[in-house]
Amino acid sequence: MLKSFKLTTIENGLIDITSFVEKALAESGVSDGLMVVSIPHSTASVTLVSPWDPKGLEDVDDELRRLIPTRIDFKHQHDTPQDAAGHIKAGIIGHSRVIYIHESTLGLGHSQKVYFWEFDGPRNRNVDIKIMASAII
Amino acid sequence: MSQTDDFLTQIESLPALITDCVPLMEPLTRKILSTPEIYGLRQIILTGSGDSFFAAAAVIPALRAWTGIPVQAMTSMEAARYVDNSILPDSSNARGLLVISISYSGEAARGVEAAQRLRKMGAITIGFTANPDSRLGKAVERQVSTLIPNSAPAPGTRSYVASMIATYLLAIRISEVLMCMTMDEANRLRAEIQDSGAKLENLVTELAPKLRKYAETWSNATSMDVLGSGPSLATASYCAAKLVEAGGIHASPQDIEEFHHLNFFVNEPSSIPTIVFSPSNSASASRASELVIALQQLGRPTLFITDEDNSFACDNSILIPKFPEWLSPLAQTIPAAIIAAFSANIRNVTHYRGHDGPWRGAKDAGFVKNSTIILKQQEETNA
Repeated sequence: MLKSFKLTTIENGLIDITSFVEKALAESGVSDGLMVVSIPHSTASVTLVSPWDPKGLEDVDDELRRLIPTRIDFKHQHDTPQDAAGHIKAGIIGHSRVIYIHESTLGLGHSQKVYFWEFDGPRNRNVDIKIMASAII
Repeated sequence: MSQTDDFLTQIESLPALITDCVPLMEPLTRKILSTPEIYGLRQIILTGSGDSFFAAAAVIPALRAWTGIPVQAMTSMEAARYVDNSILPDSSNARGLLVISISYSGEAARGVEAAQRLRKMGAITIGFTANPDSRLGKAVERQVSTLIPNSAPAPGTRSYVASMIATYLLAIRISEVLMCMTMDEANRLRAEIQDSGAKLENLVTELAPKLRKYAETWSNATSMDVLGSGPSLATASYCAAKLVEAGGIHASPQDIEEFHHLNFFVNEPSSIPTIVFSPSNSASASRASELVIALQQLGRPTLFITDEDNSFACDNSILIPKFPEWLSPLAQTIPAAIIAAFSANIRNVTHYRGHDGPWRGAKDAGFVKNSTIILKQQEETNA
């Protein structure tokens, strides 16, 4: 079962998509299995981060910007410097996360939420969610 | 076909040309400048003569607003002789200067000279030309081909639109790379240009009878004023040029504000038809509204070309499809060219006076191509 939803980002950074992901799980009726959250873009990622301190979310994004600053001398110049940096960030962070499903609940800890990570905003984005039920033995 | 038919055929082909040009030229403008080069830009000069200068002038307001970089449209004479060493002391420092030299034929001597001199001075020079082997093609560092399929010969119309589109696309590209706009916004603007072709599809059929009537009514006028501001001043200049080239009419373009200081005072105002290009949403629309009163007081025969009914409380208006002001010159080109085509037809005059008699020196653009190109080195040698 594949579900998708659209997202319009306003700027770069982390956007909490946990409620969308949980809604997809509830609609699937799957109580045990695996969920893959996948971002079909090359300048955005998905990750799990603690939601409790908003400043901590900024730290996560700031640190990646520090590691991969937007420069004007990237070899990829087809689009923009931000886009070129975004490809690298997305390549490193990855485009999907697997979360297990147990008793109709996502396997997330108390300090874990699912975040869409925009590297080239503002953009119109899609998030794909694939849910696989465990085989009954 | 008659010269009028040829001219109208060119005008009728413009919507399809706009649609076709964008995908053709977008890849050419995308990588003509590297990202570091774009970030090093401190000034942009777009230069050309005649239609090429008007194409540059049409895009300047958008390019300046989008990038925040100082941008100027210069005639090729100003770019050739008054940017570099003509005014001493010469800084000899053109780092960060981008020069876009527009010439469809690539053979206008002054444009070639401007490119040669400014390139030597250190500027990045890009030629927008249909002829890669032309003198301009050889003078510039890089080229964007504005070559489009040939059409029946007529005063420049398709080449003007093609030059404008190439310039719009480069403007969007520079703005996008500078991250003055997002990639999505840039793509939306590209699509807006391309989609404007479809919106103009039936415009010639719709406007031709109306504009023909104006041309008939004004068939005895020996001079005309064509007014506009911002991008519409470029259209006014283009329209005046076509009235001159096709109809042999002494037509003068003028900014709407400047008109109140200048041509307002010309004698016998009731004998001077005045065409005004002013989109209803333009930054100068309030001044255009005031202009209606001035023109009425003068008793000038008037035609407003706008995009909204009653926008200028004026009986003599013709409507064209509505676009953002920056993009309006593409649509305005159609009525501007049509009225010139009919003016020539009704007066039964030959375009460009047939390059004959006192006008023979313009045959094969002789006076434009054969002007002596003067380079700095030669000046020094001569001194």
